[in-house]
Amino acid sequence: MTRAATAKLGAYTALAGLGLLGALVAGRPELVALAAPFAAVLVAGLSLAEKPDLKALFDLDQERQVQGETVAAELELWSRRGHSHLELLLDLPDGLVAETPNPQLISLAGDERRPIDHTIRCERWGAYLVGDLVLRSQDPFGLLVHEWTIERKRPLKIYPHGETLRRLLRPLDTQAFAGNQVPRARGEGIEFADLRPFEPGDRVRRINWRATARRGEPWVTETHPERNSDVVIFLDTFLEARLADESTLDQAVGAAGALARHYLAEKDRVGLVAFGGVLNWLTVSSGLVQLYRVLDSLLDAEIFLSYAWKDIDLLPVRTLPPKALVLAISPLLDERAVRALLDLRARGFDLAVIEISPVPYAAAREGRLDELAWRLWLLRREALRSRYLRLGVPIVEWRAGTPLQAALEEVRRFRRHARTLRV
Amino acid sequence: MLSLAGGLVFRWSAALAAGIALLGAEQAVRLATGPSHADPWTPLYAAGFLLAAELAWWSMEPRVPSFSDLPVLVNRLAVIILSCAGGAVLAALVVLAAGAPLRGGVGLEVVGVVAAAAALTVVATVARTRVR
Repeated sequence: MTRAATAKLGAYTALAGLGLLGALVAGRPELVALAAPFAAVLVAGLSLAEKPDLKALFDLDQERQVQGETVAAELELWSRRGHSHLELLLDLPDGLVAETPNPQLISLAGDERRPIDHTIRCERWGAYLVGDLVLRSQDPFGLLVHEWTIERKRPLKIYPHGETLRRLLRPLDTQAFAGNQVPRARGEGIEFADLRPFEPGDRVRRINWRATARRGEPWVTETHPERNSDVVIFLDTFLEARLADESTLDQAVGAAGALARHYLAEKDRVGLVAFGGVLNWLTVSSGLVQLYRVLDSLLDAEIFLSYAWKDIDLLPVRTLPPKALVLAISPLLDERAVRALLDLRARGFDLAVIEISPVPYAAAREGRLDELAWRLWLLRREALRSRYLRLGVPIVEWRAGTPLQAALEEVRRFRRHARTLRV
Repeated sequence: MLSLAGGLVFRWSAALAAGIALLGAEQAVRLATGPSHADPWTPLYAAGFLLAAELAWWSMEPRVPSFSDLPVLVNRLAVIILSCAGGAVLAALVVLAAGAPLRGGVGLEVVGVVAAAAALTVVATVARTRVR
C-alpha cells in the first residue's frame, strides 16, 4: 500500500503558513482568521485519515468460455471503516474487456457489504488470471490518497471460436479402430461394397438371398468396415505476422481448434504438434477429454523467439503415427518450419498445408525500393508454394475473412487429382 | 483571478494556490490601508476563500471516466459545506479574540510567532505520523 499527499495538502499548508506569517508581518489578526480555516481543514483531514481496511471477494461464474462470449464476475467489498471516496479498478489483462463501467467511484459505509457485478467480454483466446483489483481511497477532505492492490486471481480459459465445418479432409489411409470413415478395404461393416459368389468360410448371414435366387447359386454381400483415422495438427509457432489485435497465430489457433473439434466428433484420433521456439506436442487420442487437452494446449501456443535450429527429429515417434494425416497450419515465414514440412513429406506422411497468409498483415510501403521488395517477397512465397505442389503436397493460401471450409475444399480438390508421390 | 482561472484551465495546482494567495494578499492590502479595528466581515471572507479553494481543487482532481455513486457526491458536498461553516466559526473566534482588550508588546508578539510555528509544526507532524 502506498500513501501519497495530494497537491491540495501542500497548497493548503502553504496558504495557512502564508496567512499566519502575513498576519505577523502586517500585524493584522484578520489574516490569521483567513488562514485558520485552511489550517483547520489540514488538522481535521489528517486526524481523520486512517489506513484503509478493506476486504474483497472475487469470483467468476465460469472458468471456461468461448471467444466472443461474456463471463459474469462478482466482486464483494466490505470494510469495518467507511470509505467516502473509493476508486476501484478491475485490472483486466489484454484480451478481456469489461462491459460494465470500470473503474468505479463508490462510497462504502462502515460494515457495509457491497456487491459489484461486472460483465467481462472475452475478446481473445488464451488462459488468463482475472482478479487484480486496484484501489485508491481518499480521506474525506481529499488530502491523502492510499493506493493498493488486492489479488483475488481466478483462472479463466477462453477457447478460440472456431467455425463450423461441414466436410473434413480425409486421410489416404484409415486406422484399425472403429470410427466414421469408410475405407477402400472390405471387411465387417454395414456400408455396401460389392456382391461376389459364396466361398468356403463365408458366414451364412452374409448371403444375399435376392442375388442368390436370381443367379441360382449362393452370393454374398461384401461391406466396407467403419474405421477411424489419425489426424495430427501441426501448428507452426516460430513466427507470426500481426496487425493490431489480429495475427496469423490467432487465425491458426482458431483453425486448429475447429479442426480438432470436428475430427474428434467423428471418432477420429487427433494429436497436436506446436512446432516453434517452444516445442509442444500431444499424442493422438480420441474423445471429449482429448478435445479439452488439445484446446488447453492451444491456449499455451505462443510465439517464443528462438534461433535454435529445430527439425522433426526432436519430436517423439508416437506424436506422428504411421498413416496419419498431418494438417500443417503455418504462415510459412520461418525456414525451420518450411524445412520440417518438407521433411515430413519426404518421410512419406500424408501432408496438407494450410498457409495462413501473412500478406494482409504486411502492407507494402510506398517507394520504388519498398514496392520492389514487396513484389520479390510475394514471388518468393509463390515459388515456395510451387515447390510444395511439385512434391504432391496440397497447399492452400487461407486469408482472414474467408471460411476455412473453402481452404479445405481446395485441398480436397487437389488431392482428388494428385497422385501420391514418393520422394 | 487570472491565476485561479489559469490553474483551473490547465489543472495546475500551484497556480490555484497562487490565485488564492493573491486574493488573500489583496485582502491583506485592503485591511492594511483600512481602519485599524478588526473587520467584522472577515469570517465570511475566510469561508469564501475556503469554498473557492475547495471547489477549485475538486474541479481539477485527477480522475478517470468512471461510474460514480451518488453518495460520493453528497458526502463531498457535505464535507465542503461543513468545512466552510466550521471555518467561518473559527475565523469569527479569531476575530473576537483579536478584539479582546489585550495590550500588545514584544511578549505577545513572541507568543504569536511561537503559535504560528507550532500550528505549522502540528500540521507537518500529523501529516508525517498519522497514517502509516
